[in-house]
Amino acid sequence: MTAREDIPHEDWDGMTVDEALAMDFALGALDRKERRAVDVRMRSDPAFRAIVDAWTMRLSPLDAATASVAPSADIWAAIEAEIAPAPQRIAMVAAPAKPGLWNSLMLWRGASIAGVAAALVALAQVGPTPPPAPRAPPEMLVAALAGADGKPLLSAAYDPMRGAVLLTPATQRQDEGKSAELWVIEGKNPPRSLGVIDIKDPSKHVITSDQLKGLTSGATLAISIEPYGGSPTGQPTGPVVATGTLRAV
Amino acid sequence: MSAPSPGAAELSALLAQAANGDRQAFEIFYQRTSSKLFGIILRILIERTEAEDVLQEVYVTIWRKAAEFDAARASPVTWTATIARNRAIDRLRARGSRPSAPLEEAAEVRDHSPSADVIIDGNREAAQLNAALAALEPRHAAAIRSCYFEGITYETLAAREGVPVGTLKSWVRRGLMRMKTDLATLHDGRAA
Repeated sequence: MTAREDIPHEDWDGMTVDEALAMDFALGALDRKERRAVDVRMRSDPAFRAIVDAWTMRLSPLDAATASVAPSADIWAAIEAEIAPAPQRIAMVAAPAKPGLWNSLMLWRGASIAGVAAALVALAQVGPTPPPAPRAPPEMLVAALAGADGKPLLSAAYDPMRGAVLLTPATQRQDEGKSAELWVIEGKNPPRSLGVIDIKDPSKHVITSDQLKGLTSGATLAISIEPYGGSPTGQPTGPVVATGTLRAV
Repeated sequence: MSAPSPGAAELSALLAQAANGDRQAFEIFYQRTSSKLFGIILRILIERTEAEDVLQEVYVTIWRKAAEFDAARASPVTWTATIARNRAIDRLRARGSRPSAPLEEAAEVRDHSPSADVIIDGNREAAQLNAALAALEPRHAAAIRSCYFEGITYETLAAREGVPVGTLKSWVRRGLMRMKTDLATLHDGRAA
């Protein structure tokens, strides 16, 4: 209909832009930002994904030339511990953030959280068995919660694959005799409490999977300062010290 | 797709069991595949501790995604090697730079020519791919191997080789397209 469709896509030496991008990715030659962009596109564009997969398959026989190297014997034990079934009741694990997984989140860029150990909060399992792994990985949601002055207070990341929320303190704010409460605001609904958190040590916070149901991109997370123990009314009563929007990554 | 290599069916079965939560099957899968994946990761990251960290991450990912594995699309080794390569490259990018390895190690790392035992033991696909690479300009083939095995960017390799990035990209992309044509011809010839 328009002339636009007539523009040949063979912009690069007789190959389409997509083909060039797919081979660059499969080869492993793209930089971090470009890799991220390809990653995102592969999830939403099956045709493009097929081109990338084809190049991945085409190049994979090269791996035959790579010598096998035995890893240390204790690696399996570490993997086994990580894939152990979740306990039936509330479980809390404070662990250093897995750098590979979390470093890739755009959230961390520029945030001054160096040296701050993140805490992984495992969720209470409400059913007798963990939920089955979904076939397509759901999107990860992240939010940087900052005060009115733009200063980051807390980072939150929700990983639907592992059903866990990672809270990382960005500052050491402390309000004596008060409690900080985490809220989620979805659309025009009133704020829903995700419970009281300890900003200095969020690993003490447990969020049940029921509470996380329906968390979607675009929802707002907020922290208010409440009387000790949390809001007496079920709605925020004190000052909101930080807000942030959940974004899919 | 070509005939699965010996063991591929067994590995696929182990993955299917792992998808159902069978940790024992997954342990066997780990024992059969971890040295291969660790070799791939180590080649990119050089540092053993960091490579082991990524290896751990990779197997946790494989465990969680086991149900997504589709034997009709890729062999279990290719599928897991792709996860390993991508995780290792992501880690390399997050780090920003490659550690400077001692000279003799670096030389070893940069020698990407297939070793004799690979040519003897390697599968037919590897032999075909190496033959297609061997038909390219040696410098172009070397650039392709460097990117693939070290996981380095065009920019990094261009700086190392002392050529403009555009030139390097041109070498690699033209080389890969030619390789693709050669491989397709080979496969067509076999099918005919």
